[in-house]
Amino acid sequence: MVLRLVVGLALTVGISFFAGRRVLFLVKLARSGKPATGRLSDPTGSVQAEAIEVLGQKKLLKWTIPGIAHVMAFWGFLVLGATILEVYGALFNPEFAIPIIGRWSIVGFAEDLFGLLVLVGISIFAVLRLTNNPAKQGRWSRFFGSHTSGAWVILFMIFNVVWTLFLYRAAQYNVGLYKGTNNFPFMNGGAFMSEWVASWFYGLGETANEIIEVIGIWLQIAVVLFFLLIVLHSKHLHIGAAPINVYVSRRPDGLGPLQPMMHNGEPLNFEDPPEDALFGKGHIAEFTWKGYVDLMACTECGRCQSQCPAWNTEKPLSPKLMIMNLRDTMFAQSDYLLAAKGKHPGLGEFDQAALESLSPEVRAQVERPFIGSRLGSEHEAEDGYTFDGHRTSNAELPIIDEEALWNCTMCGACVNQCPVDIEHIDHFVDMRRNQVMVASDFPSELNGLFKNLENKGNPWGMNSSGRNDWMSEVDFDVRVFGATGEDSIPDDIDYLFWVGCAGAFEDRAKRTTKNVAELMNIAGVSFMVLGDGETCTGDPARRAGNEFLFQMQAQQNVEVLNEIKATKIVVTCPHCLNTLKREYPQLGGNYEVVHHSELLAELVKAGRLTPVNKIEQTVTYHDPCYLGRHNKIYTPPRELVSASATSVVEMERSGDKSFCCGAGGARMWMEEKIGTRINQNRADEAIATGAKRIAVGCPFCSVMLNDAVTSRQQEEGRAVGVEVVDISTLLLNASKP
Amino acid sequence: MKIAVCVKQVPDSWAEKKLRDSDALLDRESVESVMNELDEYAVEEALKIVEANGSGEIVIVTMGPQRADEAIRKSLSMGADSGIHLVDAGLAGSDAIATSYALAKVIEGRAFDLIIFGSESTDARMSVVPAMVAERLGLAQLTFANKVEVAGGSVTIDRVGDNGIETVTASLPAVVSVVEKINEPRYPSFKGIMGAKKKTIESLSLADAGLDAGQTGLAAAWSKVDSFAARPAKAAGVVVQDEGEGGVAIADFLDAQKVL
Repeated sequence: MVLRLVVGLALTVGISFFAGRRVLFLVKLARSGKPATGRLSDPTGSVQAEAIEVLGQKKLLKWTIPGIAHVMAFWGFLVLGATILEVYGALFNPEFAIPIIGRWSIVGFAEDLFGLLVLVGISIFAVLRLTNNPAKQGRWSRFFGSHTSGAWVILFMIFNVVWTLFLYRAAQYNVGLYKGTNNFPFMNGGAFMSEWVASWFYGLGETANEIIEVIGIWLQIAVVLFFLLIVLHSKHLHIGAAPINVYVSRRPDGLGPLQPMMHNGEPLNFEDPPEDALFGKGHIAEFTWKGYVDLMACTECGRCQSQCPAWNTEKPLSPKLMIMNLRDTMFAQSDYLLAAKGKHPGLGEFDQAALESLSPEVRAQVERPFIGSRLGSEHEAEDGYTFDGHRTSNAELPIIDEEALWNCTMCGACVNQCPVDIEHIDHFVDMRRNQVMVASDFPSELNGLFKNLENKGNPWGMNSSGRNDWMSEVDFDVRVFGATGEDSIPDDIDYLFWVGCAGAFEDRAKRTTKNVAELMNIAGVSFMVLGDGETCTGDPARRAGNEFLFQMQAQQNVEVLNEIKATKIVVTCPHCLNTLKREYPQLGGNYEVVHHSELLAELVKAGRLTPVNKIEQTVTYHDPCYLGRHNKIYTPPRELVSASATSVVEMERSGDKSFCCGAGGARMWMEEKIGTRINQNRADEAIATGAKRIAVGCPFCSVMLNDAVTSRQQEEGRAVGVEVVDISTLLLNASKP
Repeated sequence: MKIAVCVKQVPDSWAEKKLRDSDALLDRESVESVMNELDEYAVEEALKIVEANGSGEIVIVTMGPQRADEAIRKSLSMGADSGIHLVDAGLAGSDAIATSYALAKVIEGRAFDLIIFGSESTDARMSVVPAMVAERLGLAQLTFANKVEVAGGSVTIDRVGDNGIETVTASLPAVVSVVEKINEPRYPSFKGIMGAKKKTIESLSLADAGLDAGQTGLAAAWSKVDSFAARPAKAAGVVVQDEGEGGVAIADFLDAQKVL
């Protein structure tokens, strides 16, 4: 007995020393990050998220089979926590049981059942690893770039935990039978698996079973402790980091509005910024503590990678690989991060004292360029990673591939999928902010975009007087603000119709504008437009990382909208929707903003619009990223489509799994030069449904999908008779007899 | 190495411009003003020369109304060091001759090694001011450069002409004008934009610059606008659906215009 205790405690103390040291290191490393604001300011929301996402495993269950397997493993882990208590208790008292409930057969049953479920879970995981093998599937496997051997080690260790558990429990039961004692907490039944395993070696006799019991207990403790060490040094750290990350993540999620740039807990004042203010992230030392927790939580599951439009069209950007890269960089430069303790000045400068304290190798890594061109490097197309997670060294090249950084369309699929709430987009935008505002190093195509926004107030550089052109192309009057000398929106106006830049200057979007105006007239909704008083909301500037330009644009618009006392606004562009509704509150602009699909769907429901003539052709609806994922508006457009068409078919990648058209993230103004085209990928999927009409709700989606469909029709004579239409067009056509 | 870059604030090239009825001058109020696009290339070229040289000072010179200082600030945010703004009501309506006189007066005596211009401004499009300034200063002019190299006290350019490219060299100090697309003007970093607010712009009136008022302004202009009329609206034209008859329709049209 004494031997049992001594060995058990010795193991525990010994390994706990190393485990404790590592935990301390991780905590100090996380805390060395820059401050992050507002992460702890919603305890109710945070606790709710813990319940739903951690205990309820909600995001994991988006994928049915892996989700169920993970639920088994996770809940097994929780329930088997009781067995950890029991095994330590057994060191001190051979008849130990957890107080009060420790001998209930239901508890024994649960422990055994979940032990088995864990085995089922890891078997499913093993099968998934084999059927999605990146060695065979290359970049098409979600595990491409994940550490394959590390994954197998974890599965093996979990297996070890379970079999050593049943081993000692079985022996405990046998000894209890032989001695007639409560050696096993559940002598009265319930622990069906332990009893069955016990029957395999009951016949070896009492002494043999006593020996097996002790050995089993030591093995279980050793395995669990050793596993703990592995967890603390591998991606399995997610079991500790993920619940923390969920607690401190953005509410409702990391989608929709981007965060303003902060300094000392306040939004940065661009008029007079403090000398030490950081502009985005230009070095791993400029990340916040929340960023570091993000990086520690990544489990390399690859769900984000599998949905990324860039990765799926053979570009070097994978959100997973980007996060892994950042994480590895954080660890590689941890000496500096811990020495600088958050005082890294940024903007190209370093904390000199911390820098001097480093070894030459680490110092070289710290001073290595952070973001830059990795052109010509090994495995360039896979962001420098081999299929099994090794990153090529190229120690002189920049750490982050700027090509990958600018590939991002900010569609949000990665954030939407991530089971541990990593906020990939926030990191990408912050890196872009650094590139634009500090390094002045960004794709030259954006020069034109920025100039046009600054000088002309729209991305196409058209004269603002052109915003009025569409009004002369309709045969009804459109009320323009200011035309009759008003200084605020009249009371009889239901909605301010924010036309947007595309809606005023781009032909297809103009048609949507005219349709929506006509539909509102038919339904008797009174609206007013700003005409050339509108300027770009600033969305493309913000997504491109030019936060300064965004603030200028946004402030201007907020001033105008507040002055005229705008309250209800209807838009036809989801990017305008996102910015006006969810980002302008950051600048004091609070408006009720609806997308035209929401308004029209309401009008149809209320009977103010009646589709009488549904079209015969089959329609498929493409969810725009900024309407669907970012703003959770999935149903109203579908209601409109069903109201306007007799036959509707859904694409496989629809709803929150919708595949981006490729125009977001300011990519509308950049050319795709690598791999295949994102819009082509999506258009092919739509065409493959057999639908003759592809319904869209966004001017960018409209342009991108139109271009893709047209090129298919021209080059290969495919997609005959397929048209891309805005839902307003469908509705308007259906509303005419 | 001390470089002067002359910039001009012009009405936005793509905006609709109007002339004032009162004095036939451009109605600047009705249009956005921007820095002349070609001058951005000039500023960028100066920045590159200073970077290649290791050190140097770039002074932006402009002649224009009060808001022309925006063009100076823009250049400062790209990285130029200071500015000189020649502003006086008596300069309004100056033609190219008066402009060159004023600029030359401001520039001389300040020991510039190089004076860089954009090849023309997008409003008047005279493209003679660089040459005139060089003449007045008694310096060599190397104009329409699409490549500039400064080394060992002299400047060499590739001069773009109708018949090809000439290589021209002159010893410093000299005047250079650059064509568009010679380089990619850098986008000002935020630090640059903020820093520009603190850099100095020297403001000079006619008197400060020692200019003779009789040689500047509308009254001294060597040409005068007698009258002007707006361009008639574009007619819709004739649209012919080509069902194989298109060629015939074109031929008939050209014949009717007496072109054939």
